[in-house]
Amino acid sequence: MQGIIGKKMKIVLAATGLALSFGLSAPGMAADQPAKPMPEATEAFVEKGREIYMRRCSMCHGLLGDGNGPAADYMDPRPRDFTLGTFKFRQTESGELPTDNDLFRTVSRGLQGTGMQAFDSDIIKSGLSEEKRWQVISYIKTFAQEFGDEELDPIKTGKLVKFPENLPPFSDELVAKGKAIFLKAKCWECHGKQGRGNGQKAFDRKDDWGFPIRIRNVTLPWKIKGGSKVDDIYMRFSTGINGTPMPSFAKALSNEDRWALANFIKSLQHKLTSNQVLQAKKVAGEVPTTPDDAAWKDAQPMDMRLTGQVVAAPRWQNPGVELVTVKASYNDKEIAFLLQWDDPFKDATHKLDKVFNPKDISKVGAYNSYVAANDMIPRALETYRDSVALQFPAKFIAGTKKPHFLRGNSSNPVNLWIWKADMAEKNKSGAEEAIARGYQQPARAQTKEQQQITAKSVWKDGQWSVVLKRSRMTEDSNDIQFKNGQFIPMSINAWDGSNGEHGLIMSLSTWHFVFLEAPTPMVIYIYALLAVFITGGLGFWLMKKAQASNA
Amino acid sequence: MGKFKINRFWSVVATILVIYGIVKWAIPAISRNITSLPFPLTVPGTLVFIYMTLTCVALFALVTFSDEFLEEFVGPIRKMLRGEYTKALRLVILIGVPLILGWQVYDITVPKVQLPSSLRIQHPSSNFPKKFEAMKNPFNEPSKDRVTAFMKQVKADEITFIPQVQKDIDTWKEEADPDHTLQFLPGEAVKKLLAEVKAEKITEATAKDALHQVDLFEGRALYAMNCRPCHGDSVAGDGPMADGFKLRPINFTDNGTIETIVEGYTFWRVMNGGVGLPIEATPWDSAMPEWKKNLTDEERWKIILAEYDLAEKTPRIPESE
Repeated sequence: MQGIIGKKMKIVLAATGLALSFGLSAPGMAADQPAKPMPEATEAFVEKGREIYMRRCSMCHGLLGDGNGPAADYMDPRPRDFTLGTFKFRQTESGELPTDNDLFRTVSRGLQGTGMQAFDSDIIKSGLSEEKRWQVISYIKTFAQEFGDEELDPIKTGKLVKFPENLPPFSDELVAKGKAIFLKAKCWECHGKQGRGNGQKAFDRKDDWGFPIRIRNVTLPWKIKGGSKVDDIYMRFSTGINGTPMPSFAKALSNEDRWALANFIKSLQHKLTSNQVLQAKKVAGEVPTTPDDAAWKDAQPMDMRLTGQVVAAPRWQNPGVELVTVKASYNDKEIAFLLQWDDPFKDATHKLDKVFNPKDISKVGAYNSYVAANDMIPRALETYRDSVALQFPAKFIAGTKKPHFLRGNSSNPVNLWIWKADMAEKNKSGAEEAIARGYQQPARAQTKEQQQITAKSVWKDGQWSVVLKRSRMTEDSNDIQFKNGQFIPMSINAWDGSNGEHGLIMSLSTWHFVFLEAPTPMVIYIYALLAVFITGGLGFWLMKKAQASNA
Repeated sequence: MGKFKINRFWSVVATILVIYGIVKWAIPAISRNITSLPFPLTVPGTLVFIYMTLTCVALFALVTFSDEFLEEFVGPIRKMLRGEYTKALRLVILIGVPLILGWQVYDITVPKVQLPSSLRIQHPSSNFPKKFEAMKNPFNEPSKDRVTAFMKQVKADEITFIPQVQKDIDTWKEEADPDHTLQFLPGEAVKKLLAEVKAEKITEATAKDALHQVDLFEGRALYAMNCRPCHGDSVAGDGPMADGFKLRPINFTDNGTIETIVEGYTFWRVMNGGVGLPIEATPWDSAMPEWKKNLTDEERWKIILAEYDLAEKTPRIPESE
């Protein structure tokens, strides 16, 4: 009897386990591999694809598939031009056409860090079913004659790049080996020693179409277009990225070397903190004033994501700064903030005659209120300065109310602590306190007597580190005051000069909070002690009673 | 016998632990499978308290049911207190239990650093002007004059589009040399219209349907230029700019977003943006622009037309007109 029950139980358990694991793994499996190969591209099939293309793709990729749709000029990277048959993300050898499955993968999961998003209807409700994706791919293939040439078919000519088997798992040794290869293969000439896209050869690279290319900062996983998994990174080394300066290393490096290199790149990826509140670290002595002060090591970091300023014209959808890591340290008198962000090039000049006048794109009925990626503003070295600003409400408001995160308004002004690289170069501080009452007017610097912040900054290996310091309390009614136990709203504006950013053409975050711990009230310790003594006393009293009744 | 009997004291302890485990961990774990949300739904603290109190009351009733039961329950406690399980264990329990309790009291009362919660009304109506309620999208039902004018344009093959899409269409015409300008446009209505053009008998009904396709095409282009950076290619609130906003752009494919509001409300929201919201909707966290500053009424209506179409939703019907 028992044996049978045991067997039944085992079956039930196995079935439940299977169902659970299936249910749990289903979202992760969102198909970038098709269930069936591409159906035959009959005339009717391609026509269906054309209809989908004209509905969902032509706004960016253009009616001719030349990557010149109405939305194209505002995006960097630009939408792909399909007419040359040059595709970046493939599993075929360098310079070859992509396979159908390669195109399927890109349409299904998109290219992160670009305007090309996932179209898999399993990921996005109003996306495209597998059949519809195949239809649109069959139409996209009609744009380039190369797809009709059997001699160029990467499958028939055996130009596929296969993923090798039996590769070692991620380990410190593998990463160390990868690092040595990174140095030997001179990846750092473009990508920089830390992978921040800050190599000497990084600026002013162009793609096959003559458009400027920005070398990717590989430490930000959401910016790696071909995918941030080790397998994806390995593929990029093995296939190269057609149409760009990124070559294939299939001949120069062995499979194992490329795998080690991919693991090293993976190890560089930033792991985001998840806190929305920055707990400032209380220090006994002086607050740290320089970025390299060892005292910063103990302070809690908070990652703040930034994005393009798209709230008001001139809008900008190509932000140069997407992540600022902030720390704070305070004592009884002062508070200091450490801001660190990646910026591949140090820009410490600011040419006022190059400042963009947005009046033509700001009015009602203007063609578009976004700044174009390439023609409107110079995205060049030595034109605009790098800069950052911490933003606080000018007055602390109890409750949830705050000024609007884009510079507040006339009744809810914001206090900005602005640091400018060109000023830092001149007077060794570069910090300025300003008040803004809405984005419509530029922030106004406070009077000389009201300037109370000091700054120390350093640019190294493609990264800025800036310390901003002020006394916690000031006499100024337009300054935020740092009292204990308050959630003080804080946000960031940032400008990457060589990315063309200045004025409202900037990167920004929404509100986060900084918190200075309040001392624990005495009464809480008393409550806890009382609980210990009462229960302890009760216990011993019961013990005595139990012993007495025994006797 | 063969029946294994555990002491009533331990069965009481086990019951409390099992029920606490169910409320605290099992229910949230199961909730994930039911709701298929990426996070578990925890049982609220007050409810945990109620469940545990009920459990204790029930167990107390059980234990005090008879003297025999009570004796069985108290037995191990008394034995422990008398030091019959070694004096060391008694000491550990008599000191450990109060310490754990004290720590619990401290943990509950000590102030914690937590994000101030800010509840938000997504579709506030406190400052929604009534005149927008019954407003209709003019492009949903094109006027007779528009249709007639369009028929003329189609016949002469001299169709004007908004400047934003005109350039791309002109390049295409030059390259593809089509029989008729509308040939690029998707939709059965367009195919039907082109057949009618060939046969030289354009009907008003077909022209009207095809004009709708023109409006949708222009709306999608305007959407791609203006709204896509945040709301995404597939109107799912996941555009390339979306991750930078704590208050994420709305996913129009979700139930309960644009299908629960009237078109006039959408128009009003697009017009006044985040800063036009009343305070119960936390305007300071919203990145939604005041589009009245940049887009014309026509452009905004076309975008709304395309947005409902891409999301495969229809707006709510207005209250009595």
